[in-house]
Amino acid sequence: MIHICEITEQHSITNNIYRMRLKAPMIASSAKPGQFIHIKVRTGIDPLLRRPFSIHRIDPGNEEIILLYRKAGRGTSILSQMSPGDSLDLMGPLGQGFDLQTSFDHAIIVAGGMGSAPVFFLIDELLKAKKKITLLWGVRAGEEIFNENEIRKQGIELKVATEDASKGHCGFVTDLLSEYLSKNITKNTYSGFVCGPECMIHEVQKIVESVDFRWQASLEARMACGVGVCLGCAVLIRERGFQMVCKDGPVFDLREVQFNG
Amino acid sequence: MVDLSVKIGSLRLKNPVLTASGTFGYGRDYDEYLDIAQLGGIVTKTITLNPREGNPMPRIAETPAGMLNSIGLSNVGADRYLSDKLPALKNVDTVVIANVAGDTIEEYGEIVSRIQDQSRIDGIEINVSCPNVKQGGLAFGTNPDITAEVVRISRLETEKPLIVKLTPNVTDITEIALAAQESGADAVSCMNTLVGMGIDISTRKPLLHHILGGLSGPSIKPVALAKAYQIVQVLDIPVIGIGGIMTWEDAVEFLLAGVTAVQVGTLSFVDPYGSIAIIEGLRLYCQKNGISKVENLIGGMIQS
Repeated sequence: MIHICEITEQHSITNNIYRMRLKAPMIASSAKPGQFIHIKVRTGIDPLLRRPFSIHRIDPGNEEIILLYRKAGRGTSILSQMSPGDSLDLMGPLGQGFDLQTSFDHAIIVAGGMGSAPVFFLIDELLKAKKKITLLWGVRAGEEIFNENEIRKQGIELKVATEDASKGHCGFVTDLLSEYLSKNITKNTYSGFVCGPECMIHEVQKIVESVDFRWQASLEARMACGVGVCLGCAVLIRERGFQMVCKDGPVFDLREVQFNG
Repeated sequence: MVDLSVKIGSLRLKNPVLTASGTFGYGRDYDEYLDIAQLGGIVTKTITLNPREGNPMPRIAETPAGMLNSIGLSNVGADRYLSDKLPALKNVDTVVIANVAGDTIEEYGEIVSRIQDQSRIDGIEINVSCPNVKQGGLAFGTNPDITAEVVRISRLETEKPLIVKLTPNVTDITEIALAAQESGADAVSCMNTLVGMGIDISTRKPLLHHILGGLSGPSIKPVALAKAYQIVQVLDIPVIGIGGIMTWEDAVEFLLAGVTAVQVGTLSFVDPYGSIAIIEGLRLYCQKNGISKVENLIGGMIQS
């Protein structure tokens, strides 16, 4: 579906990271964590293509969806200049979200950089399902960590890694994961979730090679159509060959993803 | 009532707007967004005899008012096309054109022969112009003799309308178009993508894995219009215009330049409903201007 949605709120929450609320009743009532929307940031022919954004959170009561994005290129630059009352043309919800039907008690979530965006929607759903949650969150600088109090209040175990040593562990989130897996695994049944840049997801894949529970990864890719037609966002999946991140994913079983190199 | 129908050889299209190969899947992928029966026709994704995985990533990149692609003819192959994809179009009231390609001249004959008895296929478009397949370098469509041979061999296998999709990446496109006509093509579609590239200056890497790719989108429209116009001047068979068509105004321009129908490509990625909007715009334009048949627009440019 194509929706014309009004922006109801837009804030810069920290340096270059923005949170935007959009009135989108149909998406707010049907989206699943891990799905994305495909936005035409401006009418006209330049920039030409839509941009995919994972759904950060939904607010069904207000019929709103929330996006979290970093101003990094032309598209997000244009988005960041928009104000409440402006409208956006978007498609969605698109793609296959996380599979939460499998039975587990404890979710371990690894989030890196803007990969944290879909994690909050995931957490909201996991809390509804009364799962125990551990969030390992890696960012460049401590100021990119937000909602820390809310997260802890919800009873989520939060561990933070920063590359600039401004908060938590100095280093990568994958260090936190290795340490966590070596010390904390109990007789709970676990399920793992990872969202972030490809290099981080690849690293997580190596780390979790020996653990015996399922990991789902949400991948990012350049896309044109967003619905599996242009074949521009292929990823190699074990035994299935090329799959499309937009249509078959963006969530895949981590162990089945074949990364380059 | 405006009569929007046009004829491509023996094919009657209900209107002159088709969706271009590679931008509309195998025909049903955009069902959620539009009623495909409203289209003049659908050209399905290029198929080859055997399935193809396609090129490594990255396969696409955005450019000013355009995009580069190097998909590499990723497709399900002829068998699955016939068993899974084509049957899904069975009861759809629109024209279906199968787009085919081969690695060798003989393979064009084989693939045409394989699909040509399907009643659901109303026409066959021969892709001699995909610049992404590395088969000794240049596409078949850059050489008039090879183009003629590909068309001749395909013509032997079928009586269905045969359309040759031309590449603009040649010195003189009219030479290739004439070769196609003389070898038995019923129409040509003009044009495929322009060869292009881009480099990320922060990483110094090419934007596409294969470095060179095909440029499409509104930035190529003036080039496509010129090529179509040039071909129309020399051919007797119909020309289907393709290249950067985003609006009904673009479609009118192509018709005035002399094409009989248009194909809409990259637009579908941006706006899946765009092709239908073009048909509606065409109808309104004709109504407002007292044009009873869209065919009367064809070649209607007035030279000053």
